[in-house]
Amino acid sequence: MSDSNASVPKPSSSVKLVLLGEAAVGKSSLVLRFVNNDFQENKEPTIGAAFLTQKCQLPTRTIKFEIWDTAGQERFASLAPMYYRNAQSALVVYDLTKPSSLTKAKHWVAELQRQASPGIVIALVGNKLDLCTATGEHDAAEAENSETATEEPQEGDARKITTKEAKDYAEEEGLLFFETSAKDGTGVQEVFNAIANAIPETQLKGSRPAGATGQAGQTRDEGRVNLNANAGAGGPKDGCAC
Amino acid sequence: MFLNSLVQKAQSFIDPALTPITSSHDKRPSKAILFRYQFRLPDSENPLHEITAELTIPLPYKSSAGQGGPKSDGQIQGNIYAGKLHLSEQYLCFTTLNTSFHTNSTFQASTAFTGQTHGTGPAGNGFTLPLCAVRKVERLPTHNALCALAITTWNGTASAKSSTAHYDMQRFTLQLAGSRQACDTFCDGLKKGLRNGVKQLDNLRTIAGQCYSEYLLSGGPVKSKDGEGGEIIREAPEAGLGMVFRYPGDPRKLRDRSKMRLWGEYFRDNGRNAMLLRQPTFHKLIRVGLPNRLRGEIWEITAGSFWLRLQNPNLYTQILSKFTGRESLAIDEIEKDLNRSLPEYPGFQSEEGIGRLRRVLTAYSWVNEEVGYCQAMNIVVAALLIYTSEAQAFSLLSVLCDRLLPGYYSQTMYGTILDQRVFESLVEKTMPILWEHLIKSDVQLSVVSLPWFLSLYINSMPLVFAFRVLDVFFLEGPKVLFQIGLAILRINGEELLDINDDGTFISILKTYFSKLDESAHPKSENEKLRSITRFQELMVVAFKEFSQITQGMISEQRAKHKNDVLDNIENFAKRTSIRNLGPESKRLSADDLGRLYDRFYEVLYEQERDLQLHRIEIQKMAGPRTPDPVQNSVEMGRVGMGPSPETMNYDGFRILLASIAKWAVADAPRTPFDISFEKDGRLAPNATPRHPEFPTSPLRGKRIEPADHDFMQRLYGYWNKDDKDGLSLQNVVAGIAGIKGARDVMETIAYFFALYDDNKDGKVDREGILRMSEALLFLSRRGLEGNFTLIGSSPNGMDESINGSDQITISGSTLNEKFLSSVSAFIRRCFEYADPDNPHSGQQNDISTDLGQFSIGEDEDDLLDLSPNEEKDIQETPTKTTPKSPFLPQTPQTPSKQSANLALDPANPLHITLPTFRMVILADELLQQFFEFSFAESLHITPQVPGRTSSFPLQTPTLTTFSSLNTPRIFAPSTPTIPNLHNTDHQSSIVPVKGIRGLLDNIVSDGMRVAAEVRKRMDEAQKDLDRSATGRTDDEYDDEDEDQDARLQGFFARVPSQNSNNNNNNIDTEKRIGVSDHDRDLLDGAEVGSIKEHDGGILVERGPNSAVAALDLLSSSSSDNGGDGAQRRDLGGVEKMFES
Ligand SMILES: Nc1nc2c(ncn2[C@@H]2O[C@H](COP(=O)(O)OP(=O)(O)OP(=O)(O)O)[C@@H](O)[C@H]2O)c(=O)[nH]1
Ligand SMILES: [Mg+2]
Repeated sequence: MSDSNASVPKPSSSVKLVLLGEAAVGKSSLVLRFVNNDFQENKEPTIGAAFLTQKCQLPTRTIKFEIWDTAGQERFASLAPMYYRNAQSALVVYDLTKPSSLTKAKHWVAELQRQASPGIVIALVGNKLDLCTATGEHDAAEAENSETATEEPQEGDARKITTKEAKDYAEEEGLLFFETSAKDGTGVQEVFNAIANAIPETQLKGSRPAGATGQAGQTRDEGRVNLNANAGAGGPKDGCAC
Repeated sequence: MFLNSLVQKAQSFIDPALTPITSSHDKRPSKAILFRYQFRLPDSENPLHEITAELTIPLPYKSSAGQGGPKSDGQIQGNIYAGKLHLSEQYLCFTTLNTSFHTNSTFQASTAFTGQTHGTGPAGNGFTLPLCAVRKVERLPTHNALCALAITTWNGTASAKSSTAHYDMQRFTLQLAGSRQACDTFCDGLKKGLRNGVKQLDNLRTIAGQCYSEYLLSGGPVKSKDGEGGEIIREAPEAGLGMVFRYPGDPRKLRDRSKMRLWGEYFRDNGRNAMLLRQPTFHKLIRVGLPNRLRGEIWEITAGSFWLRLQNPNLYTQILSKFTGRESLAIDEIEKDLNRSLPEYPGFQSEEGIGRLRRVLTAYSWVNEEVGYCQAMNIVVAALLIYTSEAQAFSLLSVLCDRLLPGYYSQTMYGTILDQRVFESLVEKTMPILWEHLIKSDVQLSVVSLPWFLSLYINSMPLVFAFRVLDVFFLEGPKVLFQIGLAILRINGEELLDINDDGTFISILKTYFSKLDESAHPKSENEKLRSITRFQELMVVAFKEFSQITQGMISEQRAKHKNDVLDNIENFAKRTSIRNLGPESKRLSADDLGRLYDRFYEVLYEQERDLQLHRIEIQKMAGPRTPDPVQNSVEMGRVGMGPSPETMNYDGFRILLASIAKWAVADAPRTPFDISFEKDGRLAPNATPRHPEFPTSPLRGKRIEPADHDFMQRLYGYWNKDDKDGLSLQNVVAGIAGIKGARDVMETIAYFFALYDDNKDGKVDREGILRMSEALLFLSRRGLEGNFTLIGSSPNGMDESINGSDQITISGSTLNEKFLSSVSAFIRRCFEYADPDNPHSGQQNDISTDLGQFSIGEDEDDLLDLSPNEEKDIQETPTKTTPKSPFLPQTPQTPSKQSANLALDPANPLHITLPTFRMVILADELLQQFFEFSFAESLHITPQVPGRTSSFPLQTPTLTTFSSLNTPRIFAPSTPTIPNLHNTDHQSSIVPVKGIRGLLDNIVSDGMRVAAEVRKRMDEAQKDLDRSATGRTDDEYDDEDEDQDARLQGFFARVPSQNSNNNNNNIDTEKRIGVSDHDRDLLDGAEVGSIKEHDGGILVERGPNSAVAALDLLSSSSSDNGGDGAQRRDLGGVEKMFES
């Protein structure tokens, strides 16, 4: 905590990003797609966390993402603070074909809003879009959603979470929202671009300030990021009390 | 504190050095634990005998001992090792390293003695020999030792010189050094063990037959061992997926063949599998890396999992068949990862490999539910399966989880996290400059090292190297992981000093790992230096430079950091859990939620622990120590930190409540001591104490004993919304939030009503009404919480303090008495205003229904109950006619009396609705206040008050005892009026005060008993009605009445006021009332009137109304001189309130 006031954020291009989400939703695959433009069918589960970097070119600046890809299994959750410590942005990933993964994603969003750096840019990402044949604007359960029934829901559509459901939630919480496929690459680059854009230039810093031993779970008040200014989805809300 | 308990719980399994599992006072591990860890023996083994001895291992067969078997003269040539010989139930162990299995040894202390493994694995030269492997023990004649034993094992090798069925059996000698007596004792023990050992011989044959070493030495296809059969072509025993899918690495580069030859030779000279002797070469052979086909077997022998299989060779298959088809969360998680385990190894692209992995992981998750499945286990088990059979992998995994990697894969992974902290501290110690730098650059080391430890370097290093680390790890124990990690940092130290962020840090190490097979000194002139690979360098640095890293150091560091780590984990879990408690939880403060969370899990934990202790007791009683090895080790893991159960049963619920509400604390358990008091003559002659709260209760100071009351059962049922077999934290929070977070009095009243609305039809029947009143008494019996006030109360004097003009704060005994009256009135009013279940069949006009409707007409619920004759009835409502003090017995026969009377008639089922109930509650100032704040305030989640048991009245020795109540000595004559004393604080230690307080407690509980009696009598009355209308007397009935009389007498005797005369009279009166009269009265429905005709003095009567009457007594007799009327508003008043 000692360094918080010492670090007047310098304009720079280094952004720490953490990926959170239930096991096997495709966090590592998203990163692999983003970093290597590659996809592996049998990706080993992440143990603890993996670290990768990748640059993202924006018209005005280059952003270097320092990506922490975490393990998704529930029992690894208590390690997460170690990884989201100082993160300026987070990808909270769920699997479009697994309802439980959205619940878990919501828990992560709440945890981040409470415990991570204030103003952290959070993107909610529904992955495995390639398994969904329909757009997600309709669903067996949401048939009465007349405005969206443009496409016939197809047999064998694995989608379990409609776009609307997740999007509404994202808006409520002030999150960026995307649906992606790590497998075919849909939407992946867009996620990272949007995050890069959502982080105000003035708030960027070069290298993370040194000092502060930092214990797991500690959050530091630094490099405040104003999501409202860019995300346009409404301010982050205290959706949850505790 | 919750944490403390968790910490304790964790301690024993984070490191056995930290807490004993056996002895509870001693902070040190027991000798038995040290012994088991030293020799990696199953938990069934205990050190029975030990003696100093000298082991002589004959020199290789080719030279001398080849034929030197039986005709020994006691002077065998060979390697001689001095050391200690240990005997357990089923094992004979020898080590050249001094052990220190004293009862109060620590691992730290034993480290000095036990060599490389520091007491956590087989070290030094010697053996771990299952007694079943011993074929023969001969006592040799010796000159220089008292006792020399020649031990022949079942290991044999085809004799070099003969092709017949002759084998050279493995044979070595032991010379015991000790007194003759010591030697004899040892030998006797050995004899006994050997005799028992025979039973395991078949097991040994089975698993030895599966050993590759057996196959190797018999040179492939072999003659059948029993000598009878002809040639049997034996298939090579299973040695993992590698046999099918190849082993990783280039065998030539690994020099697999020469390693195999070396091991073959070693086995020939030193025995194999179960009968392997450790000589210096053994350790060297392991350090250079195991040959592929022997890898699994040596892992098993060194890790000790071989002994588990020896105990039950078919355990794995048994588990598979026993649990097949069982579903669990772990299985879903396992399925997710099956395709994701070492995908680069071809064996795990196949159904075969994946099938094996699935079976081992699920089998383990069934057996050890606490661990279940943790990601990384898939990788570790996949790696094991390349070299081992499924059964071998399974037992290795057990040893990993239970001993070698304590807490690593548990639900909270505390072991993993703790060891990262330990690792960091070791880095700080051994490489302070690097550590400084990492701190400065804000690089978090544990982030990098965690995967190393969790997956045993398997997915950090190329597989071939990771396996070499494993080879040493299984022999030397957990410290190997630390040594390797430190060596990695040391070797890369210079480069690491240049980095300033995680990114570069990680990429340096990534590069390093990928180049492990390259030369460590590529530019060196010296060819020999150049040929040293980076991995070899790593091993040298790890085991030479960091040889000072001992198990003792690790234990010490674990002990130092564990609290911190557990705190962090706990805080995270708590935070997450509390955040997800649902909307109800918002009604409670964050503090309260936090405390509830603590209490909830604390209770669950305590229950679990009790269960555990209980189980151990039972095991002990079960006698012979032959626990199933896996079961047993799993048992160990159970106590370890991990998932607590998530739901709370009724007993847990009671304990929880008792810790936050004093009413939920039981009155002291019944003890036989009351008799002795009678002998003392300190009890009034006619008093029969039934619940003496005994100062010397054995429970005192131990744990609070939770009450068990109908009210609590209802509360439990009401909270249990999900209808599961227990309450979740969310249920508890919602339940408490409903009381503590109620918006207003109406909500609390409705909550209370709902508890009694069994079938959710908005009605509570007669039985329910009685139970409600019981509950009110139950809740108030230890005093009421909050500031009760009475408006315009007549100064009863005593302990009321004037508070403003007409508001009087009451407390203590006065309050209790008055509350008692209120409850009494409550019952009566409920019956008065109850609705008949079938209004049209009733022959009388039902007043109460309409009163209820009328009073709280705005409620929707009661629309259903509107009875047609409403208007007419209103005129007759008691609100107009009831005298000022409806509570006091009245002479005029008001309609209410009759209706009350009717109400008690079992022939006329009736009920009250919520509006009625509400009205009755609001009609009484005290009851209203009870629901307004007192009930909520009786729950003390925040700690200032109860929570911690010691502040409980029950714990105060002087409280509420019959001795203090009834002994004149205590009611000192100098204290004329009792209530006066009650001004003082309850907690104050003046004995008389306690006495009075106790008195009140007893009055209340007697009141409850009376209420209970009422119900009983009503049942009886019902029965009587059923039987006949003729006034029948029966003895049984009489006896019961007699009993009741006695009780009531006791009760009266305890009211030490002027009333005592009265009371005695009453009892007389009562006795005069014949049972048949009573019965007739009941039938006539006339007894109320007759009784009420007497003054307040007639208190005990027989019949359904006795509760009401007795309650009247309670109030009137104890607060005697009037004021009753003033104390309560009558219904008329309330009605007006509603009208306005
Ligand atoms: N069809 C499809 N499969 C995907 C996609 N993304 C990932 N997967 C698959 O889902 C599985 C899990 O992917 P990972 O990227 O390892 O998931 P993760 O979230 O990193 O998992 P953990 O590390 O265990 O938390 C793999 O088998 C992937 O092949 C996708 O967009 N479409
Ligand atoms: Mg991953």
